[in-house]
Amino acid sequence: MIAHIAWRNVWRNKLRSLVVISAIALGLWGGIFSYAFMQGMGEQQVYSGIHTETGHIQLNEPKFLQNYDLQRHIEQSERVEEQIRQLPGVKGVCDRIELTAMTSTAYASRGIMLNGIDPQIYNGVSDLHEYLTEGNFFEVDNGGVNPIVIGQALAEKLHTDLSSRLVVTLQDYRGEISYASFKLVGIYRLHNTEFNEQMAFVRKQDLQKILRLPKGYVSTVSVLLDDTKQTKVIQGQIAKLFPNLQVQSWDELSPMLRMMSGTMTQMSLIFVFIILLALAFGIINTMLMAVMDRTREIGMLLSVGMNQKKIFTMIVLETLFLSLTGALAGLLMSIATVNYLGTSGVNLTAIAEGINALGYSERVYPQLDPGFAPQFAVMVIMIALLSSLFPAMRAIHLKPAEAVRGE
Amino acid sequence: MRNTMEVIELKKLHKTYEGIVPVQAVKGVDLLFGKGEFTAIVGPSGCGKTTLLNMIGGLDAPTEGQVLIEDQDISALSPAELVDFRLWNIGFVFQSYNLIPVLTVKENIAFIMELQGRNHKEINDRVAYLLDVLGMKDKMNIRPRYLSGGQQQRVAVARALASSPKFVLADEPTANLDSQSTENLLELMETMNRTEDITFLFSTHDQRVMDKAHRIVTLEDGKVVRDGKQEKVE
Repeated sequence: MIAHIAWRNVWRNKLRSLVVISAIALGLWGGIFSYAFMQGMGEQQVYSGIHTETGHIQLNEPKFLQNYDLQRHIEQSERVEEQIRQLPGVKGVCDRIELTAMTSTAYASRGIMLNGIDPQIYNGVSDLHEYLTEGNFFEVDNGGVNPIVIGQALAEKLHTDLSSRLVVTLQDYRGEISYASFKLVGIYRLHNTEFNEQMAFVRKQDLQKILRLPKGYVSTVSVLLDDTKQTKVIQGQIAKLFPNLQVQSWDELSPMLRMMSGTMTQMSLIFVFIILLALAFGIINTMLMAVMDRTREIGMLLSVGMNQKKIFTMIVLETLFLSLTGALAGLLMSIATVNYLGTSGVNLTAIAEGINALGYSERVYPQLDPGFAPQFAVMVIMIALLSSLFPAMRAIHLKPAEAVRGE
Repeated sequence: MRNTMEVIELKKLHKTYEGIVPVQAVKGVDLLFGKGEFTAIVGPSGCGKTTLLNMIGGLDAPTEGQVLIEDQDISALSPAELVDFRLWNIGFVFQSYNLIPVLTVKENIAFIMELQGRNHKEINDRVAYLLDVLGMKDKMNIRPRYLSGGQQQRVAVARALASSPKFVLADEPTANLDSQSTENLLELMETMNRTEDITFLFSTHDQRVMDKAHRIVTLEDGKVVRDGKQEKVE
């Protein structure tokens, strides 16, 4: 009976109830969508970082990354790669030669990180070739000319364009300065501006000749996994197999990536907290109004023998019904929105420059952990119930003789 | 006046409302009400009628004195015990009806019995009987806002009577009613008083109610100044 009265009480002032239900639904929708948006943004950034920059796991000679010293390379790299390929959960393995260099055109010079790769194998681990805006990713034969692929940002800094020549200055295996001429065959554009400005790609075989490297020379091995969640497990297995190598996961190689991803989660949680706080005050206000409007009726209920426990339960149930209705509406709206935009994406082209500089894509695909929406809905209901305590306490402390006269 | 045994006994009852200027609403009232009485408590506004009813109903605590209901001192009960006491012993009728707007006529009448946790058959039988007495069977499924003031007050009386309380306290029950509605309501209350031997105590200004009362207690300035059988009050 109490639940029956509470449910009907929810609808006795339809406008007020609909305002609160809408507030809860919109709050829930806003919270879930913003979380999904930021989650999508962060996940895309991590995915992009892993699939174009670091891979899930990277192996180097322990001191190589300190100054990219060519002398510090991976011994017997073919055996290392083969053993890693055998591990379950490993999708692809590729090696490369990494070194710092200087590239110049007639107009400008820039410091770069030069990557010598085997394009076919590299494409199995990296999606970089999919981000090409001009030219090709070493697919076309250039008739004996050393090809190079650079980022759009670097091309702009160097005032160069496709088919132009770049002169690269580097230090060979023996420590001597060398010069090499490359033909710009491809320009890529990633969401990470820093990567675009610094990373240049050439064929491993060309670099081996220029640097006079020993056969089978490899400075870095990248590993791509089937599932990012398995990173730490497989990293541990690889580290056990090769105790003399430095084995790092993507978040160790790129702490910025981890930090930005973590920041996204923290920001969305703060946003969610603010929404919940606003909802709490809205609910307290509405339920307090509902109690004050019904002072006479509550006085009557207390007079005729409805005990405080039942009155308290009635007010709490009213809040619960309001919140459940709002939460259900909000949940459905959120899931529909996230599902739709999760496929079509949110177009942020208008602010692409700014968000690319932060390493984010201009098209964001919101995504949601399956457990988050129900968790958030439960949080909203809990907040609503907590918010109902004050109005319910006020109701049960009314003095029946005074309340029944509306005092 | 059918005074077979005392149901309510008021002993040296005082009530003072504290404030910047304390107000003595009831000053040393001693009264006995017997089972089946149909009593009107009358007097000018502010004479303490409502305060007296509130103390008898356990809605207000006396500053001094005792309210004994069948020899039980209700002033000594805890708030929770008082709620339970009211639920099982007293029917209340209020000046402004105070029906529950979200419940139908039938549900309003059944409300107290539902609170008491009685079984559905008992509730349905009792509600059906009262609806029959009220002549409102055709309106049992509509909400109070669609009823006239007189009809609403009759439903309120039926609600008070549904659980067969020991006595009914009615605070100015006809104050908002026209002549015909007042006549109908009084007839209903008289019938229930006669057929079910329920004690009725009213506070009223209404001469028509006084005319029907078996006993009239007149209060002035918080004191009983007259207590007797039905008489015309000028």
